[in-house]
Amino acid sequence: MLREFLRLAAQNVLHRKLRSFLAVLGVCIGIAAVVGLISIGLSLQAMMKGQVSKVFGVDTFVIMDQDMMNRQSHGVMKEFALDMETLRGVEGVKTVAAVRQRTAFVQGGMNAEGKMPQGFMPVMGLSPELLTEFSAFTGDLALEPGGRNIQVGDVEVAVLGADVAERLGVGVGASFLVAGEGKNEIRATVIGILAASEEDGGDDRGFSGGMSSASGDTVYIPYATMDRLWPEGNDFLVTAVKTLPGYEVDDVADRAEVALKAEGSRVTAITSGDITDVIDEMLGYINIFLGGLAAISLVVGGVGVMNTMFTSVLERTKDIGVMKAVGAKNRHILAIFLIESGLIGMFGGLVGTVFGLGLSAVVCWALNTFANMPGGVSFPFVASPGLIVVTLLGAFAIGAVSGLWPARRGARMPVVDALRYE
Amino acid sequence: MRLLHLEGVTKDYALGKTIVRALRGLDLSIETGEILAIMGPSGSGKSTLMHILGALDTPTDGTASLEGHDLLKLSENDLVTLRGRKVGFVFQTFNLIQALTAQQNVELPMIFLGVKRRDRLERARYLLEKVGLGDRVAHRPNELSGGERQRVAIARALANDPEILLADEPTGNLDSETGATILDLLKRLSVDQGKTMILITHDPDAAAIAHRVVRLRDGRVVQEVRNA
Repeated sequence: MLREFLRLAAQNVLHRKLRSFLAVLGVCIGIAAVVGLISIGLSLQAMMKGQVSKVFGVDTFVIMDQDMMNRQSHGVMKEFALDMETLRGVEGVKTVAAVRQRTAFVQGGMNAEGKMPQGFMPVMGLSPELLTEFSAFTGDLALEPGGRNIQVGDVEVAVLGADVAERLGVGVGASFLVAGEGKNEIRATVIGILAASEEDGGDDRGFSGGMSSASGDTVYIPYATMDRLWPEGNDFLVTAVKTLPGYEVDDVADRAEVALKAEGSRVTAITSGDITDVIDEMLGYINIFLGGLAAISLVVGGVGVMNTMFTSVLERTKDIGVMKAVGAKNRHILAIFLIESGLIGMFGGLVGTVFGLGLSAVVCWALNTFANMPGGVSFPFVASPGLIVVTLLGAFAIGAVSGLWPARRGARMPVVDALRYE
Repeated sequence: MRLLHLEGVTKDYALGKTIVRALRGLDLSIETGEILAIMGPSGSGKSTLMHILGALDTPTDGTASLEGHDLLKLSENDLVTLRGRKVGFVFQTFNLIQALTAQQNVELPMIFLGVKRRDRLERARYLLEKVGLGDRVAHRPNELSGGERQRVAIARALANDPEILLADEPTGNLDSETGATILDLLKRLSVDQGKTMILITHDPDAAAIAHRVVRLRDGRVVQEVRNA
């Protein structure tokens, strides 16, 4: 009998083409907004996760200050103390690379005015492994022509931020003084200067970007040289760890954190999974917010369906009377009208989903084509099957629910009154 | 055999705050196979009587039975099923569903009784042939003339092979020539198929095909004439 009711309902929908079209359009706009906005949110999520996995890979985690993953940290990196040997001794650890940061007195050579420019500057010691094994972390540190990056085995050399180089008045090949703790001091030879554009470039260029406070006023020196100036202390900014094949990165990270904490280090081990969780949580809220906004238009669409169905019931009062006279029970009438409004909802949902996905695809395409994203960032177009199924069911439900009230009114109409209706 | 039996039937309506008594203690019996015409001026209670005879409505008081079923004791759903099986309606204004074709209109009563699709199609076509619309099955009501529409309505009334055909002013919206052919058709079908027919009418021509004519006034039977 359901098939017959479906046919009856479909014929009623088709019999009133314009009105049905308008009701479908209302639902369609609502669904398109929901699907479009949520899909764009999902694309954003996929883009961010893609970036994380690009930096981390499957075998890498980082050690950071223990407050780093708290909301209160606001993403500001704090220094911490760490024993590199303990970390290297943790089962499953393959390579360890660290970044230490201090503030040092630096002094350039004599300038034309007979002065030796000097000042206190942040100095970062970079493990050579950072450059060889964790290149994704550092990004492609673009240097001005003529320079080179820090390599394994380098001592008493430095790569300078463009600001430092200018203030100290030194170029590639020149040397300058870096003073560390006590009487520790070295004369470092400048081997490279960061290209200016690099510094205020993107947010995802490893240490030249958002992962540290590095900027044009930072002095980068090899880790071994850092050791000579200052003993290891409460000056670790970040430590990257690569695990041996066959080890689960989360297990190794847990072991490392436990081992380091046992020695009093205030650290936390962060895997790509941890970061993805944070992204998921954050974007989850954004998606709920976007979905909520779009849902408003969906409700408006539902009210449109309700209006259409009330008109339809009123207009077909006599039909209801006739159907009841020839043997239709209340539930038959209810079913016919519910299916009719459900069909309007589902059809609107179908078309709306297509439009919504199209909207999201166009936005992704436009961002990828015109927005000139740094570092090869791309917004993948995401068509979530779960979202599509839920939306289609939801659209049918919205149609049916909106039709419930009018349909009940039609179904409960006394047959004699309905037959008399003109 | 007594098919329909009413005894002391009253029917009250609330019209705003006043109660209108449409039927005032009406007695009427109808035999199987009989053609009965019910006549009377407007407001005499014809329509109300038709609703009760067709199990569309129940009396306020009195007894009413159809094939021995006490109409006052049936639930609403049972009443629907009973009229779906036992009564076929023909209305003055045809009351076809505009969105459906002639054939689908005839199928409708069978759908609600759960008749299988194949049987339904076959019977709808058979009945439309029978009323002379074999070539009009796919037309919608607005593509048919008044006489044709009433033929579709008659085919629909016969769909579930009911005991009773209840026709409310079946010729009221038709010209006299078409009206005559419709009356002819109704009479032929009821005789052929052994149906009991109740005609509610103003039209003396319509009353002329009946075995018995009952006149109503003020909600009571005031005259009963048996045609020769």
